Amino acid sequence: MRAIVCDAWGPPESLTLKELPPPPLGAGEVRIRIRAAGVNFPDVLMIYGKYQRKPPFPFVPGLEMAGEVVEVASGVTHLKTGDRVFGMCGVGGFATEIVMRADMVWKMPDAMSWIEGAAFPVVYLTSYYALNNRARLKPGETLLVLGAAGGVGLTACEIGAAMGADVIAVASTADKRALAAQHGARRQIDYGPARLRDSVNELTLGKGADVIYDPVGGDAFDECLRCIAWGGRLLVVGFASGRIPSAPANLLLLKGAELRGIRTAGWREQFPHEADVAMQGVLALYTAGKLKPYVSTILPLEKAPEALGILDGRQATGKVVLNVDA
Amino acid sequence: MRAMISDKPGAPESLELRDVPSKPVGKGEVRVAVHAAGVNFPDTLIIADKYQFKPPRPFSPGHEVGGVVTEVGEGVIDYAVGDRVIGMIGHGGYAEEAVIPTANLLPMPANMSFEEGAAFTMTYGTSYYALKQRGNLMPGETLLVLGAAGGVGLTAVELGALMGAKVIAAVGSDEKMEICRKYGATMFVNYSKEKLRDKVKDLTDGKGADVIYDAVGGDAFDEAIRCINWLGRLLVIGFASGRIPSLPANLALLKSCDVRGVFYGAWRTREPEAARQNFTEMFEWVRHNKLKPHISMTFPLEKAADAMNALLSRKATGKVVIKVR
Repeated sequence: MRAIVCDAWGPPESLTLKELPPPPLGAGEVRIRIRAAGVNFPDVLMIYGKYQRKPPFPFVPGLEMAGEVVEVASGVTHLKTGDRVFGMCGVGGFATEIVMRADMVWKMPDAMSWIEGAAFPVVYLTSYYALNNRARLKPGETLLVLGAAGGVGLTACEIGAAMGADVIAVASTADKRALAAQHGARRQIDYGPARLRDSVNELTLGKGADVIYDPVGGDAFDECLRCIAWGGRLLVVGFASGRIPSAPANLLLLKGAELRGIRTAGWREQFPHEADVAMQGVLALYTAGKLKPYVSTILPLEKAPEALGILDGRQATGKVVLNVDA
Repeated sequence: MRAMISDKPGAPESLELRDVPSKPVGKGEVRVAVHAAGVNFPDTLIIADKYQFKPPRPFSPGHEVGGVVTEVGEGVIDYAVGDRVIGMIGHGGYAEEAVIPTANLLPMPANMSFEEGAAFTMTYGTSYYALKQRGNLMPGETLLVLGAAGGVGLTAVELGALMGAKVIAAVGSDEKMEICRKYGATMFVNYSKEKLRDKVKDLTDGKGADVIYDAVGGDAFDEAIRCINWLGRLLVIGFASGRIPSLPANLALLKSCDVRGVFYGAWRTREPEAARQNFTEMFEWVRHNKLKPHISMTFPLEKAADAMNALLSRKATGKVVIKVR
């Protein structure tokens, strides 16, 4: 099989395309012919050695993929050869083949393309887990989404709107704000010119945001602690800004507010049944036509370094996907 | 009537015992002969102008009282002269009399003394709201209480155990450990001798505590966030240590845990019905002798400064009460 290989911590350019022997199939596992692989910000952190998970070298990056089952270990009954599946594999997605535990993949809806499927699991499950399971977002609540045009941000706008929230998107360019608007954000804030707290307090008539979805961290986080509503929930999704912020505990106390950490992969491992229920919940929204996975860039497998570079430069809107089929 | 008066911002010693005129009783208010007044940490802040609420001077501090109704105002139907009541007031408790709107009154259970009544609402109200509404504490979960022998801490130990949690009491001395054991704690950390995070992990098979009740802040908070379980809830109650800690957001992310602010006074104002329901539930426990406020020291009204200093020096375990009558 062909795969993108990481032999040492470093920038995307240091990755190489190699021919590797196919991995063996163990009990309870399935072999999948990968058709497309989603590219995510943690992939970038992982190859630099900056992610919480540091796989031993050599490893194949790639958090998620979509493809068809080509071999099934004995004892696996719910999947068969030819099934279209997607899943969060953690590593190994940037390859033509992968072996995964059968209970860790989900069947894809018939209407979903390979490209959409590869763009789906990580960002949609993260945002659904964050907004539904962790924040208990209620209809009519105000949801503030930072980095709203990015991969996870855009899905938070869509899911928030589908759950009946009043979505306010924060993004740094007019194009990004327009994109967020197309994906469910009723109002938008330009990140930069005015203090974020002032813009949010103005739009919420001084009340602040009930739920804040933050994959950005840094200065934006500091501002958010000052425009959160009484009883508000600030969801810590990631630190795309590069700076890990800190929350003074008295600010949380005075607002009766809370900080909630979101770590989707770990949750999936510890509570697989809950994660399966959540995936069915978010797929139901997709099937109802409420979610439109937005893929801005499609590149072939060998262009993985270029794809990761787009995310590294924080220029991406929506998702970047590798077309492994090509 | 006699009252301890704050005439200028300052330490407990700045309070003066004075004779002041009685206030008239207005519509929807009652006059209460104060028998006992609870002493709380915010009382020391309010007289120093360090509290979020600053009453006009001169005023008496004192957030809560136990006493008897001596006069009812126009329109009051649910209280009568002679009723034993608990009053929840922002200030004015360190006095022989208080005029209180009925919305801030609770009927006192028959088996409760005035001292116990005066020692109840702030600490038990805060802890029950924290554990029930904010912490969603579930039976079988592990509850770590920091400053467990202190005024609010001990009520968290007691309520947590009643709610079915396994309670770890973190205290600074072996003597305080024994008090916590009486109130339901089954595991202990003496942080003058042991490292909090290591001991808590030992006690929880490496998992960490599910809910952490923190009225201390400072270094204890920094340690506690490193021994919290996956999906744990750290409840921010206050900062008795004097240092407001900060939480690095990546720690919350790695443990998928929550840090939740607990502002009881603001919640009670916003959701008075839910707050009243909490007291109804707790008074049921009181009637069955399952809750027993721990009062370690009592002082007469004129010794209010000593009472406050007992709290500030952390000599007191549980509550300090001023016995007015």
